[in-house]
Amino acid sequence: MALDLSTLSETAAALATRDPQEIVALALEEYSPDLGLSFSGAEDVVLIDMAVARGKPFRVFSLDTGRLHAETYQFIEKVRTHYGITIETFSPQAEAVQALVRDKGLFSFYKDGHKECCGIRKVEPLMRALRPLRAWMTGQRRDQSPGTRADVPVIQLDRAFGTPERPLVKFNPLSHWTSKQVWTYIRERNVPYNELHNRGFISIGCEPCTRPTNPGEHERAGRWWWEEETKRECGLHVGAPR
Amino acid sequence: MHITMVKKRLADGSECRKCQDATTALQSRGLWSRIDEIVWANEGDPNSLGMQLSAHFRVDQAPFFIVRDGTREDVYVSVLQLARERFAEKVSAQQQAAAIDVDDIGV
Repeated sequence: MALDLSTLSETAAALATRDPQEIVALALEEYSPDLGLSFSGAEDVVLIDMAVARGKPFRVFSLDTGRLHAETYQFIEKVRTHYGITIETFSPQAEAVQALVRDKGLFSFYKDGHKECCGIRKVEPLMRALRPLRAWMTGQRRDQSPGTRADVPVIQLDRAFGTPERPLVKFNPLSHWTSKQVWTYIRERNVPYNELHNRGFISIGCEPCTRPTNPGEHERAGRWWWEEETKRECGLHVGAPR
Repeated sequence: MHITMVKKRLADGSECRKCQDATTALQSRGLWSRIDEIVWANEGDPNSLGMQLSAHFRVDQAPFFIVRDGTREDVYVSVLQLARERFAEKVSAQQQAAAIDVDDIGV
């Protein structure tokens, strides 16, 4: 049964509490081999574990920003050999990075915000990674940030990277799982994990922009912590209209 | 073709930062006059038309654009994507990438 993109929201609502394995299976059934799994080198490794178990072809890609922790590079390599999979790494355009560093230095994000650097080192490579795909999968979860991820659905039409002419479907199979459920899965199945988690890092991104979180903080609080939370300013999260 | 821009109005009456940026981007490309209608999503008011449209189209960030063309209705969350696809504006991949906040997309 092909997913009807015009009723994807209703489908997402109907599948909202299904096990992530079911969502991964659905994604593979519908889009293999044109399905990409975005692997950040963190807990989203569980998606690789789930997808490999289905035995259908899919692509795994990582965005090598050039600023990841050494532990993350080691972990990506460990996952590659552990599962015997190909991990495509997408690097930023050298000219764009060189221009940014030449004009603004190596740590411009602390002053100007993360968006410019992330645009060059992450988003543009991601656009290239997604270009040949019809669907992709991320490890986003609602409990990662009550401010910005509270409404992450299990399936959505990706309007940031897809177009009306070339729709792109985005799966977030872990959306309703908690961090605890992810870690139970990792421990019960001996899934490899990034060494940084043992040192208090929860959400893992680039080295200069990630720090361990304190007890009680949501996990995205460890990212771009120096910035005002202006990104919440534009969110439209007030619940459904009465 | 009819284009509706949905903006967010904050509790203090100002419009959100990304809405201001999008307006500036449209003005600098000479496209501001092509926006037929502005609808406001008022902070804390789920009954405001903009909030109702965001719920209907499942869009969780302002601004966004609803393009009605005949019987077809498309939604754009990026002003540059709108400019490129509806007005054949030249937009480099890097310009488009710079307009997307990585925290909104889950990588």
